[in-house]
Amino acid sequence: MSVLPFLAVTIVGAVIATLLRDLRRLGTLAGFGAVVAALAAACFVRPETPLGIGGGALAGSDHLRLVLTLCLGSGLLALVVARLATWQPSAPGALLGGAAGIGLALGLAGTSPGLLGVAAATIAASALALGSAAAPSRIRALARELRGATTSLVVGLIAAGIVPGTAADAAPGAANAEPAATALVLLGMALVVAHRFGAIPLHARVSRLADAAPSGALPILAAWLPAAWGLVILGWAPAALGPSSGGLSLERDLIVTLALVTLLLGTVAALIQDEVEHVVAYTIVADAGVALLALAALDPAARDAARAWVLVFATTRTAMIGWTIAFRTAFGSGRLRDTTGWLRRAPTLGVALAGILVASVGWPGLLAWDARLAILQSATAGPALLMAYAGSLGAGAAICRVLVIGGGRPSAIVAGALGELPRLPARRVAEATAPGTRRARRGGTSAAAGALARRLRVVAGRLTGAAAAAGRDARPTLELNRVPLRAFALILLAGLALLAAAGSFGIDAAARAPGPALPSLPPFVGG
Amino acid sequence: MTPLLVAAGAFVAIGAAVATGARNARIASLGLALVLVAAPFVADPLPGPGPLPLAFSVVAGILAGFLVFVAARRVPDGSGSSLGLPATVGAAAAGFAVGLGATAVALPRLGPDAALAAGLAACAVAIWPIAIPRDVFRLGSALIVLVDGTILLLTAFAGTPEALNGMLAGIALVALAAAVAAVTRGAVAATGGSAVPDDLPGRRAAAARAGEDLR
Repeated sequence: MSVLPFLAVTIVGAVIATLLRDLRRLGTLAGFGAVVAALAAACFVRPETPLGIGGGALAGSDHLRLVLTLCLGSGLLALVVARLATWQPSAPGALLGGAAGIGLALGLAGTSPGLLGVAAATIAASALALGSAAAPSRIRALARELRGATTSLVVGLIAAGIVPGTAADAAPGAANAEPAATALVLLGMALVVAHRFGAIPLHARVSRLADAAPSGALPILAAWLPAAWGLVILGWAPAALGPSSGGLSLERDLIVTLALVTLLLGTVAALIQDEVEHVVAYTIVADAGVALLALAALDPAARDAARAWVLVFATTRTAMIGWTIAFRTAFGSGRLRDTTGWLRRAPTLGVALAGILVASVGWPGLLAWDARLAILQSATAGPALLMAYAGSLGAGAAICRVLVIGGGRPSAIVAGALGELPRLPARRVAEATAPGTRRARRGGTSAAAGALARRLRVVAGRLTGAAAAAGRDARPTLELNRVPLRAFALILLAGLALLAAAGSFGIDAAARAPGPALPSLPPFVGG
Repeated sequence: MTPLLVAAGAFVAIGAAVATGARNARIASLGLALVLVAAPFVADPLPGPGPLPLAFSVVAGILAGFLVFVAARRVPDGSGSSLGLPATVGAAAAGFAVGLGATAVALPRLGPDAALAAGLAACAVAIWPIAIPRDVFRLGSALIVLVDGTILLLTAFAGTPEALNGMLAGIALVALAAAVAAVTRGAVAATGGSAVPDDLPGRRAAAARAGEDLR
């Protein structure tokens, strides 16, 4: 029953946030309040006895709780960064709509309900994010998303109908699928994974989405919803196709080849991009190769590793998207050639990016590293494993390039940008420091004691001024300090990515845990 | 195979042909509503237990049809189907006939022939507007027809779906119809018509996105 309150809170929150999105202040409060309420409800999702609904079942699990809390937590921080940069009215509703659909899809038993749920989530989140502003690029992106999500749903439903996940998932009296049909089913599902993650040559979706979508809604559209598609399909594949994997060597080799091409070309593309949003988009494209390898393995161990890796992938990409929002706002441009030397003007952004780099790549013993390596080793061997291994470090290489560019000579744009230090409104500082200065003039016998007392009073005056400014009229202070506040939120976001990469919150155990016990029902794909 | 099942399947096929081939957007949306309302009845046995699953599917179909009808009122005249109604009716009739003829080749299946016929007819007419999308309203209508056609094909091969699957399909169709309404409204507001806007090269699109965000 713990999933139902989450669904209720999230859906109601999405409706309220969407209805109030045109009211700037109230919409902000409603949107953030709804996301916080949904995050709190997600924290209470737990393993439980499944709730029977219409011949199926709905239940929570530890993994579902982690998916939802990391999605909403990182999404909330990205929204904070975006709100401190600009006003994106559709982003909170899109995040909530997508999270509700993910909760429904991964909480339901069976592959077909999971696919229907995640497709509905993709459609709803895309419409909420891209359908509000009447801009041609967004209309084009929304049409592309609708077409992609619907055709993926159709292919997935047919594939799961031909080869059900288990005998309990199959219709009574259904015949076993022919080997040729099984091969087509595997290729069809690989196509769905490739399209949803943006594998080459289907990568245009991700880069165009990065161009068109509101940046605050990009984490749910480009990272978390593809992750949910991956979880549903990877939950089905080993059970459905694992027993016949010996006869699918040609198809698996094809998928591995596509994955290697995606890993390598995605890395190359990320390394040559000039816009920071495109750098992030192509790191997502490169990681589509890892998802394809997890599918090609048809192995329960690879599936468990993928269930952990997907959380790290989505959290780190959310952090990277948050970083690009802060970067573009700080310098007024996302072009790397115009923002050389950015590290000197925005060292906190550099610290956050370094944290994201560590979370993306990891090291031996860290969950991010071990889970990725387990996936690669289960699907490849020999030179292919070496290529996959090199390609999987592409995101790290792309981030290193951005950091190196940041260490160069500052460009004119960077030199003219605001610094990251906190500032006070000028009037408040003058009011606060003046009495202290006057008092310093009156008292004091010795010169040293007077100077010390004067300095202390100036500091106390500044603090008093800051408190007074915060208490009486916080808005000017907030307006002045958007840059440091953004940097602070970004540090939190990078910290969350690091925690996920380190396997905190019990990610590894949750990924390996079996789903809820279902005596007579199909298994949970995300459970 | 009862005449009622065949009639319901024929309604789906005709509705699918009208939804994807009619020149007038409002008539197309009425055809779509016919598909959505008739499709749950093309099953043997009907979705159950009890009347609730069937009622849910029908109500979801009416709601989705209404959303698409609202979107159709915004579509300007002259943005008709590129194939035309005679061609789509011909394609739907061919798909329907092939589905009914599956009895002759003893295709292994657990559902009625009418579901196979209606599903094939719906998928046949939906493919062209999806493969070459020129108009967001036509694309959205075709996507809805495709999803309904796929569910009918699954009904034909695997039998009547569980009530949960039927309800989730209804939710997905309503979400899709709402998205079609949103994308049509946005396209009309942005371009004055329902044509799919041209793609911008990456850098220009990024600049345009920044301009849209900073309000």
